[in-house]
Amino acid sequence: MRLRTPDFGVNKLHKRKVDIAIVGGGAAGLSATLKAKEMGIEDLIILERNEELGGILPQCIHTGFGLHYFKENLTGPEYISRFVKRVKELKIPFKLATMVLSVSPKKEVIAVNSPDGLFEYRAKAVILAMGCREKTRGMLGIAGTRPAGVLTAGTAQRLMDIEGFLPGKEVVILGSGDIGLIMARRFAMEGAEVKAIVEILPYPSGLDRNIVQCLEDFNIPLLLQYTVTITHGINRVSAVTIAKVGEDMRVIKGTEKTITCDTLILSAGLIPENELSEGAGILLDPRIKGPIVDEVMETSVQGIFACGNVVHVHNLVDDVTNTGELAGKNAARFVLNELPSRKEKTVLKPGANVKYVVPQMICRGEPTTLHIRVEKPIRDAEIRIADLRISRRMVKPSETIAINLPQSLFEEVKGRTRLDVIVEEGSRK
Amino acid sequence: MKKREERLVTCIVCPVACKAKVTVKNGKISKIDDVECARGEKYVTDELQKPMRDFFTVIKMKGAMVAVLPVRSTQPIPREKLLDCSQELIDVVVEAPVEMGQIIMENILGLDVDIISSREVRSKQQN
Repeated sequence: MRLRTPDFGVNKLHKRKVDIAIVGGGAAGLSATLKAKEMGIEDLIILERNEELGGILPQCIHTGFGLHYFKENLTGPEYISRFVKRVKELKIPFKLATMVLSVSPKKEVIAVNSPDGLFEYRAKAVILAMGCREKTRGMLGIAGTRPAGVLTAGTAQRLMDIEGFLPGKEVVILGSGDIGLIMARRFAMEGAEVKAIVEILPYPSGLDRNIVQCLEDFNIPLLLQYTVTITHGINRVSAVTIAKVGEDMRVIKGTEKTITCDTLILSAGLIPENELSEGAGILLDPRIKGPIVDEVMETSVQGIFACGNVVHVHNLVDDVTNTGELAGKNAARFVLNELPSRKEKTVLKPGANVKYVVPQMICRGEPTTLHIRVEKPIRDAEIRIADLRISRRMVKPSETIAINLPQSLFEEVKGRTRLDVIVEEGSRK
Repeated sequence: MKKREERLVTCIVCPVACKAKVTVKNGKISKIDDVECARGEKYVTDELQKPMRDFFTVIKMKGAMVAVLPVRSTQPIPREKLLDCSQELIDVVVEAPVEMGQIIMENILGLDVDIISSREVRSKQQN
């Protein structure tokens, strides 16, 4: 754990106090802010690095958002505009084009922008909602030349659907996660040729609906158990080499093929963005690289809460909104001295077939929603937590399971330091 | 001799994602196998006979901080018309300001569906 103690010439900083500072004005940050306001907190500030509020949603121009939260089928911009509009209606203060440089364990938030320069907020509570970032070429270790035309899927999406550029005309996509699938469709709709999606696992990692509506609809080949090994081209990508991989995900020699293309899109994983969290001394879950949180979304530092993709990567923005509301509500209660203090902690341990769970512990017996990600697809699954039994006809790694934990569970587990969360194949009914 | 064909359709109604085996005789569905529920059967039938999709794209903008405007169809359109609709909007340029839900093109390609703005955009002066 790295502790950063930056020296920005603290004495010269413009300092002010605030009840709650929210870092990040995307889906999580906005819903957290609105909930805190609803709870009676007036003194709020949202700090957003982009030139507009909304986070990633304004560039997600496809539908499928809000099916659960609003019971409507909305585009990304439509979904988030409801929250942005409400923040503006309520005249909640926010700063755009503002970069938060550090958050201290004492909840001192240092940020910078052009009009104000460098400044500091001393907050009673902080809500971290910085979201996540994409894996880059460097992290994937793709060999070969360094031409133009190698982009992450989110970058291609921003270029296409905010800035109005067509990033390429002959495209190969590495990774079958949802962002890659969505961009495959976007490229095809704009007249580009998507030659293949290359996926290292034996099954695609995105939602079934996206496999059908992004690949099958456009006859885009999905190559399973393949990876991109080399890029070719000097100024611009001219081709990529792909190779088959075994169950161990290692390249099988002799299976190499070359695909000519001018663009390689990388959609190979998202990582919660937690430099600020580390600087605050917050403990991170080493498995998922986000803050360890309890059932009220508080981190290991008292008064610092976290929500949305900075905690773990969610599949639905509806779930992100719910975690934001949970964090906002409890940060408000904390400021109002209405949040019960932590009692004995019960750690929720990922058991059989479970990759991870969030929150990772229960400290107060407060109602919460548990998110579970399984390790593999399981038919007729049974989720077991203490005496709780929940059945699902199908669970998959590509879709987290959200379970509301009932009050009765907390009575039951009082005194237990550890609780295993298990998902097993149940019997066919 | 009757023409018989077998088609595979992935149902997307629930996470089970049944891979339906549909037997088509003389252009009519005669049998659906490997589907576990009635909702799935209906989806597979509709999907095979008349697949519909939400349509969305971006179109060129003038006088705003963003270069393009995201738009969507008010209702799903036939799948085979997706690229045609994209083509139809190529030369459309919209001037800011634009309201959320503003109609950009009425009854596109005679499909009885409008193309509307997916966001509000203020003009450069307003910002």
